Amino acid sequence: MKQVAVVGAAGMRPRRRAQSSWRGSGLTIWLPAGIMTMVLAILVLPPIGVLLQTSLTEVNETGGAGSFTLAHYAALLADPKLYSSAWNSVIFAAMATGVSLFFGGALAWIVERTNAPLRPLAYVTAFVSLGTPYVIYVSAWLFLLGRAGPINDLYRQFSGSSGIIFNVYSMAGMVLVEGFLWSPLVFLLLSAAFRRANADMEEAARMCGASVFRTFWHISLRLAQPAIIGIGLFVFIRNLESFDVPVLIGTPGRVNLLTTDIYLSITQIPPLLGHASAFSVVLIAVVAVLLYFYGRISRNADRYASITGKGYRPRPFDLGRARWLGGAVILLNFVVILALPLLAVLWNSFMPFVRPMNLAGLRLLTMENYLAVLYETSYVQLAVNTIFVSALAATLAIFLTVIAGWLAVRRWPGGATLDQITSIPLVFPGIVLGVAMMEIALWSPLPLYGTLWLISIAFVIRYMPYGMRYAYSGVLQIHRELEEAAGVAGASQLAILRRIVAPLLSPAIIAGWLFIFLLGARELSIAVLLAGPESQTMAVAMFDQWSNGQGAEASALGAAWTVLMTICACSLYFVVRRQSDMVAGS
Amino acid sequence: MANVDSALEVIDLAKDYPGTGHGTGRGIRPISFSLKTGTFFTLLGPSGCGKTTTLRCVAGLEQPDEGMVRLGRDVLFDARHGTNVALNRRNIGMVFQSYAIWPHMTVFENVAFPLRVSRDRTYGAAEVERLVGGALETVNLAGFQGRSPTQLSGGQQQRVALARAIVRSPRLLLLDEPLSNLDAKLRDEMRNELKRLQQQIGVTTIYVTHDQSEALEMSDMIAVINQGQLMQIGSPREIYFRPRDAFVAGFMGSTNLLTGTIAGSVPENGVATVKLTGGQVVKCQFPNPTSSVKPIAISVRPEAIDLRQTNAPPRDGWNRLIGTVVSAGFLGQTNRYNVRVGDLHLQSRTGPETNFTSGESVAVEFSVMNAIGLATADGKVGTDGPAQRIEPGNNSK
Ligand SMILES: Nc1ncnc2c1ncn2[C@@H]1O[C@H](COP(=O)(O)OP(=O)(O)OP(=O)(O)O)[C@@H](O)[C@H]1O
Ligand SMILES: [Mg+2]
Repeated sequence: MKQVAVVGAAGMRPRRRAQSSWRGSGLTIWLPAGIMTMVLAILVLPPIGVLLQTSLTEVNETGGAGSFTLAHYAALLADPKLYSSAWNSVIFAAMATGVSLFFGGALAWIVERTNAPLRPLAYVTAFVSLGTPYVIYVSAWLFLLGRAGPINDLYRQFSGSSGIIFNVYSMAGMVLVEGFLWSPLVFLLLSAAFRRANADMEEAARMCGASVFRTFWHISLRLAQPAIIGIGLFVFIRNLESFDVPVLIGTPGRVNLLTTDIYLSITQIPPLLGHASAFSVVLIAVVAVLLYFYGRISRNADRYASITGKGYRPRPFDLGRARWLGGAVILLNFVVILALPLLAVLWNSFMPFVRPMNLAGLRLLTMENYLAVLYETSYVQLAVNTIFVSALAATLAIFLTVIAGWLAVRRWPGGATLDQITSIPLVFPGIVLGVAMMEIALWSPLPLYGTLWLISIAFVIRYMPYGMRYAYSGVLQIHRELEEAAGVAGASQLAILRRIVAPLLSPAIIAGWLFIFLLGARELSIAVLLAGPESQTMAVAMFDQWSNGQGAEASALGAAWTVLMTICACSLYFVVRRQSDMVAGS
Repeated sequence: MANVDSALEVIDLAKDYPGTGHGTGRGIRPISFSLKTGTFFTLLGPSGCGKTTTLRCVAGLEQPDEGMVRLGRDVLFDARHGTNVALNRRNIGMVFQSYAIWPHMTVFENVAFPLRVSRDRTYGAAEVERLVGGALETVNLAGFQGRSPTQLSGGQQQRVALARAIVRSPRLLLLDEPLSNLDAKLRDEMRNELKRLQQQIGVTTIYVTHDQSEALEMSDMIAVINQGQLMQIGSPREIYFRPRDAFVAGFMGSTNLLTGTIAGSVPENGVATVKLTGGQVVKCQFPNPTSSVKPIAISVRPEAIDLRQTNAPPRDGWNRLIGTVVSAGFLGQTNRYNVRVGDLHLQSRTGPETNFTSGESVAVEFSVMNAIGLATADGKVGTDGPAQRIEPGNNSK
């Protein structure tokens, strides 16, 4: 029907809509995305395949693979422990999400939409806490809230009893600590949403006579609602997958969660691989469903935001006298999220053994722990291992995702598939990926098990989605004509990628690289399953020390490591700032 | 350079964007033109008419559905034989609408880029230095080599883009609205400079614009495009004085369009009598052969309409209508009048000596030579009345 008469004779011939563009035609245009798809599929698909396979295979006496069976699933589903663990996991994830949304959200609104003092402090807090290993964080909180910590110590002094007021080894303790852990990230994500919000709407409400609080409640919160729901669901998923807090607090407190159950079944002797795999598959299925909803919600949230994107000038609320209240909240956040835990780490690192924080303790100050850390060559080895693994993973992940992101954004044939493949690893909880990689290593003819290479590959898979986000939005910001001009000037596609795209993308590349590097350096759940005697990473070593009661030494190690990582986190902050300046300026 | 054969021939080039709904003006309908070496050719038309699409098809940035593109003896694209020379082997210089200067390279590196990635031959360091220096000198940017492009003004950026486009002596130069980002004064300067430069290097050039005065001033040849269709192709004078239809007449400066029908057949000398929709009878010229049955429009430029006292003696070879002044505006050098003749609203621009006031009765006169009879697209000129003024400003949004 369409325009046949107008197009005339030319329209009578069947149109040959071959897939081709100025970037090439025929095979050459399918090849790049094809090769990338294969490379990424080889990385991403085997873990799922191996898990499914193992979960459906009988283990026979010799330890070899047996015949097909559904026994693992049957046993898993028949075990009442599954349901109690699942219930615990959901409660834990939901309540911790609530805590971090409350803290992080209130803070984000104060920082972005009001004139409270001390606002930069909130960003410093968030970025420094990004550089602190979870293990250290959690152990600091265990100390602060624990039996020997200041809270219970004060209680004993006042009440004269020898008991405790708060048992940190409980669901409440876990929720609190996990909530604190996530609030800096929630803060960072939500502050972006509040920054985009349209100040006109808040001002209109104020003109109608609404109080600051009512404006916040009815307008600001409602406008940010899609973003909040999206972020909330994201944090909920991450909390469901969380491993550090459950294993460090839940396990000693006999609160079992899905992730710790998987960990226990794999670390017991002999390891219950089939059981753990079936467990993992179930967890993957749950996460996949949640991620599907998350995808739909966050797409809506983006649409919401883009309506109000243009022509916005930040006009923060004048809080009047309440400014200082806002400032106090920011300060409190700094103290609770950053200062106290770091102080606890420092205190412990200077003590010969874990003891309450008080003046009497000062006499015991010692440098021994630090000397041990500095002189013990095995610690140097640990640092080298961790940096090697994280750097290698960050480099590989960014290299792959920059190419994949470019192919996807520029709509090379097959590019859309790349976008989907790179987001598959989101469904792997860290501990599950650890199980899968372990099984792959056991199967593989190469001596992969216990090597740093295996951990690096696992990290590449896990952080690929993050790298893709950086690369994708980075390429989107490069004007199409900058590449076309290079093409017209005579450059090949490879030359365009190397000489135009990569340099223009460098801020995003650096920021993404640092982000993955920092995440890798603190990752425990994967490394704890894959690390061999020769391939320990910092997080694993600190975990072992803490579990073995060497809290003081772990603290010294953690303090030194935190300084190093904080330097990295700060550079991340400045690079991200420079990047946004550059985009705005050009 | 002028001795290189860079005649461009484009035959039945067509491109349809799939999946963009079945409205009009998506992509381009078959377009043909051929240019001699060194021609400055302009694609002119309203926004969204397909100028950029045509240019991108010639450059190789877009793959046409149909047609052929030949540059000199080389066939760059031929749908019938499946020929499609890769973009980076065409040796075409192009200046993009956004200039597309790479911010991470210095001015020198930007201009040197086409030499560095050239596949025909490798250029030595000294040669690169010399060629880049020469190109920058041509665009009056000598001495800017070390600058970062972010420190340049809009006009300077445009010249860097131009230097980059000409550094490798391309056989064809494509310019996509290169002046649209500049302010009015700079745009005037750059117009002359661009034209001088093109003549100096003698390269065949396709220039895209939606500004008709730019097109008239700079071009050797103009193609007017509307909704993907080539309306007319010709020299600036031809297009302005002998537009083929109402759209072209309207697009090339403001004009009055009077609809009507031809009373008899068009005689040999091209002058015929037309009965206007309002019943008046006027004589006009037909530069293009026209069949007598079709409704037609007569284009009369405002400056060709004379206003006189109703009692002034009629002149030979002039049409005369009687009307009422609706509004009068004094613009210094000219007076602008809006006159109603029956249902028609006409615009007239006269010298400063006339002086009529609103409501006054006047004789509206225009020479038969300045009244041009045109075919109209499906009998309609516009939607809002029998006569329509089309200001160029309205089209250039
Ligand atoms: N990539 C594309 N996909 C779909 N439709 C397109 C695409 N590029 C252009 N079009 C459509 O084709 C038509 C012609 O576009 P083109 O860019 O050639 O216009 P133009 O004459 O250059 O306009 P302007 O003066 O605004 O630059 C427009 O209707 C446009 O919407
Ligand atoms: Mg255009």
